[in-house]
Amino acid sequence: MLTRLLLVFAYMLKTSKRYRSIKRFFFDLLENVDNPLKKIFDVFMICIIFSSVGLKVYESRTAPNLYIDWFEYEVMLLFIVEYILRAWLYNDSHLIILREYEKALYLNKPFELRAALKEILLKKLAYMTSPYALIDLLAIIPTYREIRFLRIFLIFRLFKLFRYVNSIKIFTDVIVSKRFELLTLAMIMGLIVIIATLAIYLFESPALGGEIEDLFSGFYWAIVTVATLGYGDLAPVTPAGRIVAMLLILSGLVGLAFFTSIIVAEFEDKMQVFRENKTAAELKRYTDFVIICGYGRVGQEIARQLSRIKHKFIVIDRKEANVEQARKLGYLVIQDDACTDSVLLSAGINKGASVVVCSTGQDVANVYITLTSRHLNPKIRIISQVNRVENEKKLYQAGADHVIRPFEIAGLLAAEYVGQPVAFEALLGLLREQRHIHLETIVIQPGTFAEHQSIKDLAVEQYKLKLIGIISANPVHLKHKNAYKVKNEHFYFNPAPHFILQAKDILVIIGREYSIGYFRDQLEKSGLKKGAK
Amino acid sequence: MARIAIFGFNRLSFEILSRLDQNLHEIFVVEQDSIRAGQALDKGLTVFNIDFRNDEELSKLGIGRNIDFLFCVLPEDSDNVFLTLSARAMDSRLSIIAAVEYPDCIDKLIAAGATKVIDPYQICARKFCDLIKKPEITMVLDHTVFGRGDLRLAEVTIPEGSRLIDKMVSELNLNVDYNLILIGILDKELNDDFHFVMGEQLHKLTVGDVLVLIGPSRAIRLFTKELCHA
Repeated sequence: MLTRLLLVFAYMLKTSKRYRSIKRFFFDLLENVDNPLKKIFDVFMICIIFSSVGLKVYESRTAPNLYIDWFEYEVMLLFIVEYILRAWLYNDSHLIILREYEKALYLNKPFELRAALKEILLKKLAYMTSPYALIDLLAIIPTYREIRFLRIFLIFRLFKLFRYVNSIKIFTDVIVSKRFELLTLAMIMGLIVIIATLAIYLFESPALGGEIEDLFSGFYWAIVTVATLGYGDLAPVTPAGRIVAMLLILSGLVGLAFFTSIIVAEFEDKMQVFRENKTAAELKRYTDFVIICGYGRVGQEIARQLSRIKHKFIVIDRKEANVEQARKLGYLVIQDDACTDSVLLSAGINKGASVVVCSTGQDVANVYITLTSRHLNPKIRIISQVNRVENEKKLYQAGADHVIRPFEIAGLLAAEYVGQPVAFEALLGLLREQRHIHLETIVIQPGTFAEHQSIKDLAVEQYKLKLIGIISANPVHLKHKNAYKVKNEHFYFNPAPHFILQAKDILVIIGREYSIGYFRDQLEKSGLKKGAK
Repeated sequence: MARIAIFGFNRLSFEILSRLDQNLHEIFVVEQDSIRAGQALDKGLTVFNIDFRNDEELSKLGIGRNIDFLFCVLPEDSDNVFLTLSARAMDSRLSIIAAVEYPDCIDKLIAAGATKVIDPYQICARKFCDLIKKPEITMVLDHTVFGRGDLRLAEVTIPEGSRLIDKMVSELNLNVDYNLILIGILDKELNDDFHFVMGEQLHKLTVGDVLVLIGPSRAIRLFTKELCHA
């Protein structure tokens, strides 16, 4: 009966959307690092911990206070609720029951509730014995005033901060990952301290005129000396004792030096990982960003121009100097080889990236990156640089959408100057967007005033714009002259006054930045008005 | 026929060469590196293997006498600056077009006397960004001004006695009459200042003004012809 009831309950939980959304909410609140809610919660908890510890410390030397006790009680409740919530979030117990049940059905065996419950219990126990959970538990304890000696556990409340402060976590990670080296060092230093303790105990006994009365004094002296502290409350007087002191101080210095170098070296490595994690976390927030592979001269210029128009991007480059330069400018960078799957994946090729730019100076690398990107994401747009003309075809074969020869346009421009210096000026102006003159495209959205309007009535001249042409895939326009076929669309140069615009047509215009902006605004507003009606 | 000297044989000069009509101009390449000079020779180009640091040798090439255009596309920015300085000292009217590797050098080249400075990387990156943000534009540019289609960008100087003289820009109606779009004018009266023509068309045309137009080659030819005949 109980088994049936539990099974029904488990199925109910599995199908309940509400249950899932509640669990999701608490997961976001407590565990999801990318959720802003967690950040707020963390700050709140840090404040709670500090005030509770502060009040406790204050109370330890003064008479009991009713308000403090009340606050303490609330804090304890909060901690207990948090502890239970975390235990609940740790895994999905109903899924264990269902899995066991389905397994039993499949194997045609009777379902054993006990086995499932045991597994659930083990899972929860595994949670409860994890270091963080233990700290959480210990942080709850000092509330019981009756158990006075447990006050020391107050300290654990501060340990609880580890959960909420990320930078502390790096530090503990450093220590954990270097535990072997640190343990070895600790053993050597421990041995030295023991030897020194015994030596000083033998050489500096009161009978010989020394001050070391027992082994504990010897040990205390050895620790103070090896740490190069030397309070001076106990000092060796015999020559033998002084020799021990000298040797101990020297080995203490060496030990400290080792300790520092181990920690610092590991910190350097960890910072690299930390930076990359930060990059990845930041990337998750973006959609429609560009992956720039190769931060040479072309890559640098692309990054500069993209950052100017505030388009998000990430740079991948192998060279330390290039990476450093990009980092200084505040760009997101991954220092690695862009040819590998894992690097492109972590750069978000399947998560929000819309364009891959291959701008390494080597054609082989560009082909390889193009191939890899195309394999990982068949839909992404790939624009690649090609250095040798003969490789252009290979890049298209590898899956590039566009291939650019870096010096092609510059060459054309330079040559243009010979015959047509004024046209050169115009072209350079347009390419560099000098004097705020832009060549822009505006898409006619359905519902805007431009839809079904003739070029004559649209009269872009009143906005101080020049219409160069219209790009459209609409077959209605094919009767017009001056149509130039481009891929599966047509470019209609200098459209006639009776050319009627259709939705999704693209106007190609030249004009000042603000004229274009104003025209675009007018179009959008008209679309919104119509939509509202 | 213009005499054009290109200093440095590399990918950029290769692109420039491929865009220049070699039957129309007298073009030669100057390359110091003998291997690359050999490569240029293999391509059927006229090559001089000389040291550009030596003024005498530059003078022998014709700089200061009969060279009209000088392209400084050496790989090192410092070399380009040096060459620009030397050439400018020898001929104050020479057109010097220089390329830069690093943008910091643009000002130096202009100070040294370059007529125009081109940053190939900036222009290339511009195309990348256009492809990312507004891919249609690159397509239009390719078809209109980069010579992939029939359309092209052209400049036409208004000759003496043309019927367009004293006409307002707004009266031109080139897009209806000739299928040409006027995008800019170089104004003789306003000390050779180039400006784009947008809505403000109150300008009165004079002899020597240069019109920058986009249109099919045939229309441009027709317009130029009629301009001279009228």
